[in-house]
Amino acid sequence: MRASAGRVSRPLRSLLVVWLLALGGCAGGQPESEVVTLVFKYARILGRADPLPALLRSFEAAHPGVRVKGEALPWTSDDQHQFYVINLEGRSPGFDVMMLDCIWVPEFARAGWLTDLTTHLRPDELAPHFPSAVAAATYGGRVWALPWIMNVGLLYYRADLLAKHGLRPPETYEELVDQVRRIRLAERDPALDGYLWQGKQYEGLVVNVLEALWANGARLLAEDGSVFPEPARAADALRFLRGLIETGVSPAWTTAADEELSRRAFGDGHAIFLRNWPYAMELFETADSAVRGKVAVVSLPGRARGERGVGSTGGAHLGVSRRSRHPELAVALARHLASEPAQRAIALGAALSPTRQALYHDPELVRANPEMPRLHAFALAGRPRPVTPYYLLISSTVQPEFSAALVGVKPPERAIADARARLSYFLGAIR
Amino acid sequence: MLLLAPTVLALAALTVYPGVWVLWLSLQHRIPIFDVSRFAGLDNYAFLAGDPRFLNAGRATAIFTVASVALEVVLGLTAALAIHAQRGGRRLALSFLLLAWAMPAVVTAKLFEWLYHPTAGLINVALGARSLNWLGDPGLALPAVVLADVWRTMPFVAILCYARLLAIPAELYEAAQVDGAGRLATLTRITLPMLGRILLVAVLFRTLDALRAFDIMFVLTGGGPAGMTETLTVYAYRALFQTLQLGFGSALSVVVFLLVMAVAWAYLKLLRAGTTVAA
Repeated sequence: MRASAGRVSRPLRSLLVVWLLALGGCAGGQPESEVVTLVFKYARILGRADPLPALLRSFEAAHPGVRVKGEALPWTSDDQHQFYVINLEGRSPGFDVMMLDCIWVPEFARAGWLTDLTTHLRPDELAPHFPSAVAAATYGGRVWALPWIMNVGLLYYRADLLAKHGLRPPETYEELVDQVRRIRLAERDPALDGYLWQGKQYEGLVVNVLEALWANGARLLAEDGSVFPEPARAADALRFLRGLIETGVSPAWTTAADEELSRRAFGDGHAIFLRNWPYAMELFETADSAVRGKVAVVSLPGRARGERGVGSTGGAHLGVSRRSRHPELAVALARHLASEPAQRAIALGAALSPTRQALYHDPELVRANPEMPRLHAFALAGRPRPVTPYYLLISSTVQPEFSAALVGVKPPERAIADARARLSYFLGAIR
Repeated sequence: MLLLAPTVLALAALTVYPGVWVLWLSLQHRIPIFDVSRFAGLDNYAFLAGDPRFLNAGRATAIFTVASVALEVVLGLTAALAIHAQRGGRRLALSFLLLAWAMPAVVTAKLFEWLYHPTAGLINVALGARSLNWLGDPGLALPAVVLADVWRTMPFVAILCYARLLAIPAELYEAAQVDGAGRLATLTRITLPMLGRILLVAVLFRTLDALRAFDIMFVLTGGGPAGMTETLTVYAYRALFQTLQLGFGSALSVVVFLLVMAVAWAYLKLLRAGTTVAA
């Protein structure tokens, strides 16, 4: 034994020592080094500065002996969902607090992956948040996540162009179409598009179609769980969207457009109207923006003989894994991140909208973004996508049908009927 | 026999066991996160038989496979012949080919996403006023995806063919020259027959890859518009990983597996027939 150990070269021996030390560290549990590590999974936040590391450090400062590791999620929403599903279903508790797209909360709650936060919270603790954000975090009468970042669909318009032609921002889609015609006729600029929105076959398409459905008095899911309870109105809304493309009000490439594609085209000054989320606001006002100082926002239009326009809400929530080994601390971390100071820091550093309503009138935030008070009104009026554990199943089933109606390979009525038939098979297997 | 045991065991553990498990799953309604788990018999397969989205995915898979493999073989062969005929710069040409081949599919897809960009993409800028809605037009999206795949995988065919070309003995060409064969005759009588088997191997590999293609359409179009670029694997992914319908998704995977096996078997038969004729 000794002889063979003596033959081990020096670098190798020191490696061995490091390895043994590491093993010892893994075994852990020594009373003198009782450091608790919490893992927070989140999508990297774009913006001037990622405010998250500082927020995690301030939590550590307030909780001696606790270390928080921020770990990045994959880039796209699909990949993030897959990551969570595989890790949570596979019973590997690799994280404690997780950033969730609000549409996943009921699904994850139903699957038993989230800690029920109801008993951890004071009765009025969620009152400062938008009701629609709280609704999206609630399933079966219990609260499963903390609202964190708010999103709502808005209509951006070129205030300079509308003013030049003596027009007021449109309240209905019919007005919008008319304004597009008049402005383009007068401007004689073939590169100027009318109304940009998101028509690519993905989740964003469902959001855009939902907004059109709501404006037309139709729904995707009724309270009793039936799908497309107003099929004729739903088909009519799809026909209207198809019409926007056919008549050239929206460019042909709308059927391939996601948020960024449409945001960039509008930001380059190539369009009059754009449907997008609040994040675009700051990007249009950067020093090198072609539309700096020329853009304003207004609530999404309604229909001439229909409902008032309303934007779909979205955003992120914070959930605590059911298998976290330190649930109390994990809940404390989620609370810390969703607190008013934290949401203010995120709004200032990353220009993401808070879920706490008071912040929209916070002097510091209003100074940074004068549109904050108006944004509050839009977000307050916003409507969540169907809050159901089966949302992803429903969304991925209707996406190709909506897309087929938009590109004109299927009549809108057929698209709605086909979507209903497919959904009844899949939902039938679950219920 | 005993020496084979580890191999057989490893194969059984790695392929037969999961295979049988997927087959078993496909006979169930199984959505673990919603506590759904019950025997469904052939329900999932019966639904697939009348499922327009499935038929559409089958059609997209077939078109994608035939078009991309055909183009890859024609272009790959042409590229190989061109490089072989070239006096200098062979190494440079090969490096360029390898560069395209070495790129991960997702990177290629992102690259083409920019090329196909409706207003700022290089292709549409070049087309000017006649710019096309590459990824948003139901008739153009699949060709656009095929083109991106051909660009990435044509080098594979080209390099295989080129390697075979180098191995054709020079005497054959000299003899042909002595016999007074023209360029065309040399190509059709010597070069192409000598390339026959390697081409078949290339086509086999490419077909199996194309049948299972996923990343390129997933990144470029997500299966849209109107599901025109949704291949069977993309459909299976949506069912298995996005909506976690393990039973239904497994039924889809079984169909893809059978399809790939059938094609592989047909090719192998062809290859074997080729061998006996040659021998």
